[in-house]
Amino acid sequence: MEHKLPLEGIRVCDFSWFAAAPVATKILADHGAQVIKMESATHPDGIRMAMPLTPGKEESLNAGGWFNNQNSSKLCLGLNLANPRAKEVYDRLIMVSDVVVENFSPRLKESLGLNYEDYVKLKPDLIWVDQPMQGITGPHKYRAGFGAVITPLGGLSYLSGFPHRPPVGTGTNYTDYVINPGHLAIAVIGALRRRKRTGKGQHVVMAQYGSAVSVLETAILDYTVNGRIQTRSGNRIPYAAPHGCYRCKGEDRDCIYYTAMGPAPGRKDDRWCVIAVFTDAEWEAFCNVIGNPPWTSDPRFATLLGRKENEDELDRLVEEWTQERSPEEVMLLMQRAGVPAGVVQDAEDILVHDPQIRARGYYVYVDHSETGHSAYDGSGFKLSATPGTLSSGAPRIGEHTEFVCKEILGMADEEINVLLAEGVLEVG
Amino acid sequence: MSEPETLLGDIRVLDLADQKGVYCTKLLADLGADTIKIEMPGGDPMRRIGPFFHDKPDAEKSLYWFQFNTSKRGITLNLDTADGREILKQLVLTADVMVETFPPGHLDSMGLGYSVLKEINPRLILTSITPFGQTGPYRDFKGSDMVAQAMGGLMYLAGFPEDPPYRIHGSQAYHSASVQATVGTMIALYTRELTGEGQQVDVSLQESVLMAMETAMQHYDMRKEIRRRVFRPPVVPGIGLYECKDGHVFSYTVAGFGAGWDVIVDWLDSEGKAGDLRDEKWSEVFELMGNFRALIAMVSDPPRLIARLEQFAHINGIFTDFLAPKTKQEIYESAAQRRIMIVPVHTAKDLVESPQLEALGYFVDVEHPELGMSLKYPGAPYYHISQTPWRISRRAPLIGEHNFEIYEKELGFSREQLAILKQQGAI
Repeated sequence: MEHKLPLEGIRVCDFSWFAAAPVATKILADHGAQVIKMESATHPDGIRMAMPLTPGKEESLNAGGWFNNQNSSKLCLGLNLANPRAKEVYDRLIMVSDVVVENFSPRLKESLGLNYEDYVKLKPDLIWVDQPMQGITGPHKYRAGFGAVITPLGGLSYLSGFPHRPPVGTGTNYTDYVINPGHLAIAVIGALRRRKRTGKGQHVVMAQYGSAVSVLETAILDYTVNGRIQTRSGNRIPYAAPHGCYRCKGEDRDCIYYTAMGPAPGRKDDRWCVIAVFTDAEWEAFCNVIGNPPWTSDPRFATLLGRKENEDELDRLVEEWTQERSPEEVMLLMQRAGVPAGVVQDAEDILVHDPQIRARGYYVYVDHSETGHSAYDGSGFKLSATPGTLSSGAPRIGEHTEFVCKEILGMADEEINVLLAEGVLEVG
Repeated sequence: MSEPETLLGDIRVLDLADQKGVYCTKLLADLGADTIKIEMPGGDPMRRIGPFFHDKPDAEKSLYWFQFNTSKRGITLNLDTADGREILKQLVLTADVMVETFPPGHLDSMGLGYSVLKEINPRLILTSITPFGQTGPYRDFKGSDMVAQAMGGLMYLAGFPEDPPYRIHGSQAYHSASVQATVGTMIALYTRELTGEGQQVDVSLQESVLMAMETAMQHYDMRKEIRRRVFRPPVVPGIGLYECKDGHVFSYTVAGFGAGWDVIVDWLDSEGKAGDLRDEKWSEVFELMGNFRALIAMVSDPPRLIARLEQFAHINGIFTDFLAPKTKQEIYESAAQRRIMIVPVHTAKDLVESPQLEALGYFVDVEHPELGMSLKYPGAPYYHISQTPWRISRRAPLIGEHNFEIYEKELGFSREQLAILKQQGAI
């Protein structure tokens, strides 16, 4: 018998767009909640237009990998939120939902009338979620932004990278994918559990800015306690050496790199491996793996203190050994000897070659009407009794308009047709 | 005054986590779970991680320990002794969640595997965080934060193409795995309300960060393109990192997000620094930069882009010179007034001084009676949960601080028994 998904029976009215909150509602949807997105071809979720797009479908709003990946298992009600009559529709949906999620700028949220205070009077057990950039209160609440600016604003950029290089950050809208949606999902599922026990709803507000500052390890305390402004330290940490990223031998084949200028043909020769030696036993094992060359018995490298003091030279010597080998070989030799090491994998390595990812079935392939057979991120945690699953790929804009209007909102055909004609509803 | 209701006030968590999972148990503890940190007698290895209070290395002064063990109680217990394992079983009877980070199979080898624990307490949720997960050919591989960031694809995306890849600061694989583990644990707790039964939550450090590859996986899946670290100084004016008087600002004046170049030129002009940008010849360049789709199309078409580079460089030069003598905060304020998306690259000091974080009540003072003062901590990841607020209920525990409370008062060991356990090294 097919198992019941853990969040079955929970309905989420999902106004969220771009990233962070949609990734949180993906987690809910992949675990059985009925998540209903609202957008229209007139005003689509902006991330539908972003790269990568399925070749040959560059004009479609339904063929984007970025959007699709973070909207699996959801339904889409084609609703033009900019139309004044849209409120008639979403007000009804809110009344039959358990959770409402929005991540608009507070200005847009207010103009749409999406205020918890108004709806809770009509439906006291609502769980209402706002996920603004900086807050729905405070002097900077109206400041524009999204994931790309949270990384510098929230302190991660300043702390990441090499000390002699500028703080260029993570290369992605980092906090949008695990940290901020995860923090949000924890609160929402906790609130659902409490509601199950007490019947009471509540209001959850998560400022993405604050959420990002919560994962800076000791940077805040070191400043408030010791007055120290921590800065970038590359790959080095105080209690391990060698602890770095080393160049390895490239592969003898062509590949295509994605760049901001479009696809660029190249060689698969940008290959690296990390090695992390924490203990004396790991140091000894490391030396054995590389064949105990004379430098390893140099007293300067015999102790952690010595290795830290001579780390530039140490890293150079380690790299002399790694660059003669493929990163996979380095990893396997080190791991077999009990030394933590790993390939700096690119997406091809991960999606196609990594036997661990494959054995655990992390990626889920779904057939989609516009992108064909496509890979999606599965769940970042595995539940033994009630695991999540992708019930479908991402919805096309307006794919479920009829279903939502008829089956959930109980609207008559006539009413639907009027709203379609007026451009309030769309079918996709 | 009664304590406010918390989200997890009815939940007890046994915390056997090292660095990989210590943020998971902090998240649960700050949401109100009665979280018992179980340390080896003599103290947990995390107490050796710096920095330290006033830079004095001391097991009771590790800021790392302080940061990640708020709101928890602490006991010492040696699971390498038979008595220690029996005591853990007694605690399991009282617990809802156990979070552990031992290598796969280690709990089984101690006779404390999930099948055993489930017999003792069918409602128990066992959350396990390991480098590569409980299954698969790499399950016994060793890991660390950097190894997971490498194997999980994050490192390949950050930085300059001419530099080696680097790990994102702040043990992001440990944080990510802890966040994923907490979400999984919350779903398991929710499910238990329906089924009455616990289950296992299996989290791999490597898998926990895969989602944060952003679009790299889909680029390969859909187009066989490998995305890698490609940072360059700004090419399209207004998009990228700019140096200023006291650091850097990140500018993201992408079309449609905040104000456009008409507003930026007004800003430059207001200080007489617009150069020739008022000249009619620039208007079609600004128009292009204001059209998201046209911009995307242009950057994917090298010949058209190259034709634009000289114009872009001219505008960029004026913009760079304009920003250079200003401070981060001056730029942020002026840009925000005009709805231009430029933000400072914040240091810890900037964050502590942020008026917005102040207004949200983000930072919280936590009393440390032994140090004779309160320390200012980073606060809740969600600053507002209306009925069941997040809060740090206490500073991190001292070594064995709650042994008496738990062993004597709760489990009912006599002083004589505790003396035996202490001498044997079990507690």
